[in-house]
Amino acid sequence: MEATYQLDFAQELKKCVRCGKCRTSCPVFHELRGESASPRGRLALVKALQTGELEPSEELADRLYTCLLCKTCAVDCPSGVISDEIFVAAREYLAEALGQPLMQRALLRGFLTRPGLHASASSLMRLYQKSGAAAMLDKTHLIEHLPEKARAAARLLPDVAGRPGRKRLREVTPAQGEKKYRVSYFLGCATNLLYPEVAEDTVEVLSRNGCEVVTVDDVKCCGMPHLAYGDMETARELARENLRALSDAGSDYVVSDCASCSATLGETYQHLFDAGTPEHARTKELADTVYDVSRFLVEVTGIQPGEHQVEATVTYHDPCHLSRAQKVTEQPRAVLRAVPGVEFREMAEADRCCGSAGSFSVMHHDISTKILDRKIDNVEATQSELVATSCPTCTMQLSFGLRERGSEATVVHPVQLLARSYRGE
Amino acid sequence: MAAGTATVTAAALVTDMVKLLGPERVFHKDVDLKTYTYDSSFVSQINNFTPEVVVMPTSTEEVSRIMRYADQHGVAVTPRGAGSGQTGGSVAVRGGIVMDLSAWDDIVEVDEVNMQVVVRPGVVHAELNNHISSYGLYFPPDPGSSEWATIGGMVANNASGLRAVKYGNTGQYVLGLEVVMPDGQVIRTGGLKSKALKSVSGLNLTGLFLASEGTLGVITEVRLKVWPKPPSRAIVVAYFDRLEDAAQSVLEVFKAGILPSGIEILDDGAIRSVNLFKPQLKLPEVEAAIFFEVNGSKAATEDEGRQIEEIAKRRAGSVEMATDAKRMKELWTGRQAIGAASARAKPNAARIFAGEDVCFPMAKVPEALRRIKEIGREHDTMVVIYGHIGDGNMHTAPIIDPLKPEEVEAAQRVAEDIHRLALEIGGATTGEHGVGFVRAAFMEEEHGAALTVMRRIKDCLDPKGIMNPGKIWAEE
Repeated sequence: MEATYQLDFAQELKKCVRCGKCRTSCPVFHELRGESASPRGRLALVKALQTGELEPSEELADRLYTCLLCKTCAVDCPSGVISDEIFVAAREYLAEALGQPLMQRALLRGFLTRPGLHASASSLMRLYQKSGAAAMLDKTHLIEHLPEKARAAARLLPDVAGRPGRKRLREVTPAQGEKKYRVSYFLGCATNLLYPEVAEDTVEVLSRNGCEVVTVDDVKCCGMPHLAYGDMETARELARENLRALSDAGSDYVVSDCASCSATLGETYQHLFDAGTPEHARTKELADTVYDVSRFLVEVTGIQPGEHQVEATVTYHDPCHLSRAQKVTEQPRAVLRAVPGVEFREMAEADRCCGSAGSFSVMHHDISTKILDRKIDNVEATQSELVATSCPTCTMQLSFGLRERGSEATVVHPVQLLARSYRGE
Repeated sequence: MAAGTATVTAAALVTDMVKLLGPERVFHKDVDLKTYTYDSSFVSQINNFTPEVVVMPTSTEEVSRIMRYADQHGVAVTPRGAGSGQTGGSVAVRGGIVMDLSAWDDIVEVDEVNMQVVVRPGVVHAELNNHISSYGLYFPPDPGSSEWATIGGMVANNASGLRAVKYGNTGQYVLGLEVVMPDGQVIRTGGLKSKALKSVSGLNLTGLFLASEGTLGVITEVRLKVWPKPPSRAIVVAYFDRLEDAAQSVLEVFKAGILPSGIEILDDGAIRSVNLFKPQLKLPEVEAAIFFEVNGSKAATEDEGRQIEEIAKRRAGSVEMATDAKRMKELWTGRQAIGAASARAKPNAARIFAGEDVCFPMAKVPEALRRIKEIGREHDTMVVIYGHIGDGNMHTAPIIDPLKPEEVEAAQRVAEDIHRLALEIGGATTGEHGVGFVRAAFMEEEHGAALTVMRRIKDCLDPKGIMNPGKIWAEE
């Protein structure tokens, strides 16, 4: 059993002593309780696959996909088992052995690789919401008769804005004041489609902090969804295209407001190519320049404090791909503290996964919702008006959870509050 | 399914279990059964102990019904908690039913005034202590696996841990048990309605089930004595250039009339492993470190901490006293993690659990430490030593490449020799992890005629031999 995702199964799996510590922190295991839902159980299944004791099967794939890839087990593991990377590599092997479902393949290869289709999708989603179809489905309870996953997706979907982010941003936004850096803004798919106002605010904040911002037009999806579904071939192709586009932009830094995008560009790309190849060297070079926007503001430009009061109580949820994948936890809080008027309230278990995990919230809606419940309990305990987070799928999930509870709290990106403070809103 | 006595097919067994529990709490697919073939023991990783079915009961009545069925059909039943044991105790070496009790985790009662709690077997040790801390109470035994080990498993193995030197093992806190016997009968030990903290009424049946490792019945409820939580603690860490000096310092602390709540040793490999896992700890990389924990009133912990500091300085190169909560947590959790983290002592290697919790007489600890190192060198195997030096209970971790058969073989010889060493110098083959599957071969030598009495008790309570067969007793 081999994986093209640079990983030697036998060498990595041998580190697991099966102590069981990962049962403690896995959000999925906490809900399901059977051993095959624990990271240790999944590792045992991958080992059985590797040794030939088990054959690839849909059931085995189901156990390996019932994982958030939240990295909690990997970060906590005393033996240093990189469980999430092992699961990703095993998914690649299973995708090849079992084939990918047609719809999944169409989404990963046909849609996510083509940014040009995103604007049309946005219009369609907006039509669905604004024509009254969405409200009608909900009001008449017809939504209950949709297939489970479609129903979940319909419930999770936020109000889709009129124009995607890419159409709202200039190709080059000049720095306000002295230009310190030229920065490529990597606009992720979810931010572009669902939260274009975050994109606008990110660019404004970067500009206000002395950056000339290039919105690189021909970047593609970062490839995270493809990696999660074991489609390494497409992920690798997307990585090549993004490496080229970002290199052509000739900036000092690459900045993203999406935790998953910055984690993928800055870390995961290195696993996609053989060490010693020119492509691998380019991923290393890219990694040195990729920053999450909060980290960039704190570590590179320094934060120009907000000018106007933004009176709000705010708590913060750590996205897995920022806190565990990039060890970025203090910087988003520092951004929030730089906003005058903000009263920051730390929530319990702020770095516990919210259950979103990309499409996990749709594909495993029941489990995801249970995980989300605990997160929303922790949010509500702070009695904050706003929940800040740095990931669009976390934003979607948290917003869904708050809506379901009838809460008036809303979800924002930390840079949005800084932008509001600059603008005096 | 139970030493060849089962009268039901695997398919029928699954069907019947589903009838008893419903489909959600019965696992029978290959992918699920595979995840119940192991615990932490290396022996379970190189064998294939697959059960026919896994059940997850969450009531005494369900357990009783399953046991009645198993008794009627001669099906083996292996109770299991978190599967964090290191001896193969919770794997089904004779097939049959694995009974996963880890989801049954209700804290039934916290009786603050009578200083006791009643819990179901799946309650995790750390979660119990988190829960009762708001009452100012705590359950003192402190296994390294505190965050995931279950109370049921701790009772079934009479486990202990980092604070056994002062507080002893789990058994000292068990006031009574609810047990489902192999034929399904439900009994309560320690008195049907008792809330007493002491009882010598009748034979000590509670004691009989301690460390019985699921071979006599299924523990379904535990009544535990809990203690007032000490308001203060301190940790003194002493770093020694010679392993023997570390051991001598422990004896000198006792001679000064001090009984620390924990005394833990880390050898050079263990120190290196902890530093690699938790770099922020920055432990000096010497031949041995001793962690002394003291607890009690603030004045007492400060006084005893200072005394230990002075005593340790006579032999130690450097000594650190921590009273800051953050630093103490870092040190203690760093120590707790060594079990699995010890693999980091050697690149491209793994730690295996084999021969890992021998207990030596205190007077022989310095000699034992030296001889364990010699055994490792003799078999060309790195052995990381850490553990509860305050009561002579040492963990010895062979660090090998498990993909290399010659290294596996050498590690097994190391484990064998370490067990023999324990018996030779008046120690015990297991201080807290239990016998399970891996130490059954030493029982005759360790216990002599007493083993025959143990067998008679087993035969009397479990005449069909369905409870966790293949454990404790090497089968004839």
